[in-house]
Amino acid sequence: MIDRVNEGRGLDSFERMFLAVIVAILSIGVLSIYSVTYAQQGGRVPLYAKQLIWILMGGAAFVAMLVFDYHKISRLSYLLYAIVLVLLVVVLVAGKTSRGAQRWIPIGPFAFQPSEFAKLVLILVLASYYANAPRHGWLQRVVLPGLIMMPGLLLILKQPDLGSGLSFLAIYAAMLLVVGMRSKALGVLLLFSLMLFPFAWEAVWGSLHHYQRDRIMTFVDPAHDPGGKGYHGLQSRIAIGSGELLGKGLYGGTQSQLKFLPEGHTDFVFAVFAEEWGFLGVLVLLALFLGLMMLSLEIAMKAKDVLGALLAAGVIAMIGFCVAVNIGMTAGMLPIVGIPLPLMSYGGSATVSIMAALGLLLNIKRRRLTLFY
Amino acid sequence: MTGTDSHRGRRIVVAFVLMLGFAVVIFRLFTLQVLQAAELTVKAERQHRKAVTVEGERGTIYDRHGKVLAINVDVPSVFGVPSSLENPSGVARDLARVLHVRADEIEKKLKQERSFVWIARKLDPEQGRRLEGMSLEGIGTVMEGRRFYPKGPLLSHVLGFAGMDGQGLEGIERRYEPYLRGEKQIVVLQRDALGRTVFPKGLDEQGPAAGHSVMLTIDEVIQYMAEKELEEAVTATGAKGGVVVVMEPRTGAILAMAVNPRFDPNAVRAISADRWRNRALTDAYEPGSTMKVFVAAAALEEKVMTPGTLVYVENGQMVVANTVIHDHEKAGWMTFAQVIQRSSNIGSVKTAMALGEDRVYRYLRAFGFGERTEIDLPGEGAGLVKEPQDWGSRSLSSIAIGQEIGVSAVQLATALSAVANGGWLMKPYIVSEVRDAKGRVVMQAGPQVRRRPVSPETALTLTGILEGVVAHGTGSKAAVPGYRVAGKTGTAQKIDPQTGAYSASLFVGSFVGFVPAEDPRMAIVVVIDEPQTEAWGGVVAAPVFQRIAEQALPYLGVSPHQPIKLAMNATGGVLQRP
Repeated sequence: MIDRVNEGRGLDSFERMFLAVIVAILSIGVLSIYSVTYAQQGGRVPLYAKQLIWILMGGAAFVAMLVFDYHKISRLSYLLYAIVLVLLVVVLVAGKTSRGAQRWIPIGPFAFQPSEFAKLVLILVLASYYANAPRHGWLQRVVLPGLIMMPGLLLILKQPDLGSGLSFLAIYAAMLLVVGMRSKALGVLLLFSLMLFPFAWEAVWGSLHHYQRDRIMTFVDPAHDPGGKGYHGLQSRIAIGSGELLGKGLYGGTQSQLKFLPEGHTDFVFAVFAEEWGFLGVLVLLALFLGLMMLSLEIAMKAKDVLGALLAAGVIAMIGFCVAVNIGMTAGMLPIVGIPLPLMSYGGSATVSIMAALGLLLNIKRRRLTLFY
Repeated sequence: MTGTDSHRGRRIVVAFVLMLGFAVVIFRLFTLQVLQAAELTVKAERQHRKAVTVEGERGTIYDRHGKVLAINVDVPSVFGVPSSLENPSGVARDLARVLHVRADEIEKKLKQERSFVWIARKLDPEQGRRLEGMSLEGIGTVMEGRRFYPKGPLLSHVLGFAGMDGQGLEGIERRYEPYLRGEKQIVVLQRDALGRTVFPKGLDEQGPAAGHSVMLTIDEVIQYMAEKELEEAVTATGAKGGVVVVMEPRTGAILAMAVNPRFDPNAVRAISADRWRNRALTDAYEPGSTMKVFVAAAALEEKVMTPGTLVYVENGQMVVANTVIHDHEKAGWMTFAQVIQRSSNIGSVKTAMALGEDRVYRYLRAFGFGERTEIDLPGEGAGLVKEPQDWGSRSLSSIAIGQEIGVSAVQLATALSAVANGGWLMKPYIVSEVRDAKGRVVMQAGPQVRRRPVSPETALTLTGILEGVVAHGTGSKAAVPGYRVAGKTGTAQKIDPQTGAYSASLFVGSFVGFVPAEDPRMAIVVVIDEPQTEAWGGVVAAPVFQRIAEQALPYLGVSPHQPIKLAMNATGGVLQRP
């Protein structure tokens, strides 16, 4: 069922730019992972090589999401959502536990993280929900999609995976905004939230794990306990700050190389890069991410229909939220919630799902042109 | 309102929000990486940097033939990283079993609020292997250079020893510290989050240069002979201790320097500081009759006496300044040579009186008594020679027989060498050469003349008299068949620390001599401190001299060229040697 329209047409300059930015960020990511892990001993496959494999798989997912018409993909969204929910249940029943969270399904030597794919599937589900019929009134616009999201969100929070849960909420909120809320509905929602806040706070705070509460608490004053809870945030800021204007050079990051900075290849890969390449390097990297966002916005704005616009908005929300929260937490502006940096942090599920989402974006862009020619 | 308008408006808003978000992030990173950069860099350095002094390996100490006397070996040291320990008491128990120390002491160290503590340093390699095999969490081992003395107690008082951080604390190790110590390099080491030390990239792999090696004038073989014979004599006589110094008379080079009781510099922590002292040069003692040699030298040089000058020795008793001076044998007249050979106190006192206070004092100082020999070893004492204005009425007669004067064994050996070598007072030395790590000579020492207290003629005459001491005088037990031996016995009463007077039971027996008398290769001083069985130097010390000389002369390639004569030994028997 391959769409013939896509065939036989080369890449235009926008698309080349879009791909170039993605490849550039991926390369920086692999380089940073290599830098921080190359010295680790062990006969296993080195992490940067594994990441290259994930990127290849991500590339396959990218192409897969590109070649099928996104309308056809969206028709499968409820099925995919059902599969994801099943997998999330499987994770809770038979998943692999690591660092206090049960997030992975072991498949042979690999571990598969359904919550990463759940985000992309949520985008598909919500987009087809809004696109398939006119939705009026706050019940149809706000509550029903919220109820659709709820089982996935609860299963993810149960793991617990606060970062993915927040991503869920961000995707939901972003798509809600794109659909547009009438002011009355917005007002009711706000009033409702305010009334529910004390209960919600109690429910949310009470449901958080100790380490999650600690992370949020130490966000307030991370310096008072450098050996304890605020350690990650403090080390991350030291690593970034000691990179100074020009950085310490590749492999020269003392804080990351000497393992003062924890999770240097995953959640704190930005700090590794910032330590080695300094403020100037950070500006380049941020320009790449900004460029990716701007190009994505361009796609969303020029989508040929509501479904395309909604899908694009969801993807932008997902990626943008992760970039913002990851860099924010790494730089000590936000609590540490364990969100990987898209296209840079080590991780198979996240890399594949982000690249699939980007493939979807390019898909939307290319279908737009078919309308006119 | 058109669709494109709202489209453009929303686009601008979204783009603006996006840009604002990035601007906030960039401002934050600017704050961290530019505004707070210095402060955070300091924090980073405080975490991972540790300035340490890295040193090249300590130099080796060799004897004169290149035999190794002190060397560095790499041994394991154990450290802990308290911050990474979850169960300090369990780990402490495990460590205590291997290290044979109390578990609670280790536990206390492991509970310190530090990222790095030494638990035990410079262990046996076997203990290190066992610890590594246990692979305890938060515990690591590193190799450190430990000073090792392969010959154990041999020459320990001269070599001294080095401390835990390789610093020379005694002896050669201390005196030649600037040479032996490896090149120092302040290296900023990096420490990882577990407290492990990581060398920064780009550090010269060779590291700082090793220390210089030091070559001693000591001959390991003669040293061994000296220590063995001294030990046997000390044991046999029940003495408190003893000292032997063997010097090359022509050069002042020390061939052997033995102090008893001995200690093992490899296990120095268990030994009291009193045992480390190199008493051959730190301690002055009243030499007794051996001093008569130098009074005689003065008398011969000043032509107050000749060997044949007759001296009336008062039938064994003389009163000087209300004190009775005794001889151990009663005689009327003796030649001056006999006064020395039979060790007449009265004759020596009369000789000193003939010289007068000033000349006695001047000659004793000229022979180096009362001043440091400047030997290249730490802790040397000057001894004690009072100035004539401080002398009492009995001082001259006391000094003539070796009382009221304090000398060290090294001073005695140096002064005796001056008699042996024709009158030259040498500066004794124990290090002949210092070479750097590449084998280039950095320092070289050779014979150094300090002055000439007596003429060659006097020295020759005196040597003849001293040969008589061994041939038919008090030093007969020092005789080495086949060689001409010159020497002098000494037996000094010690001051009883309780009464402050000369003790009737505490003695120092000594013998000083050189051999072969006509071409001396060794000047040997033997001092036996508080022998219990016999007091006489001629009995307790002379045999030590004899046995050392008897073994060392053939070793040095000195062939007996005297026609073999029948020599009376101590028991009256006849010894014959080929």
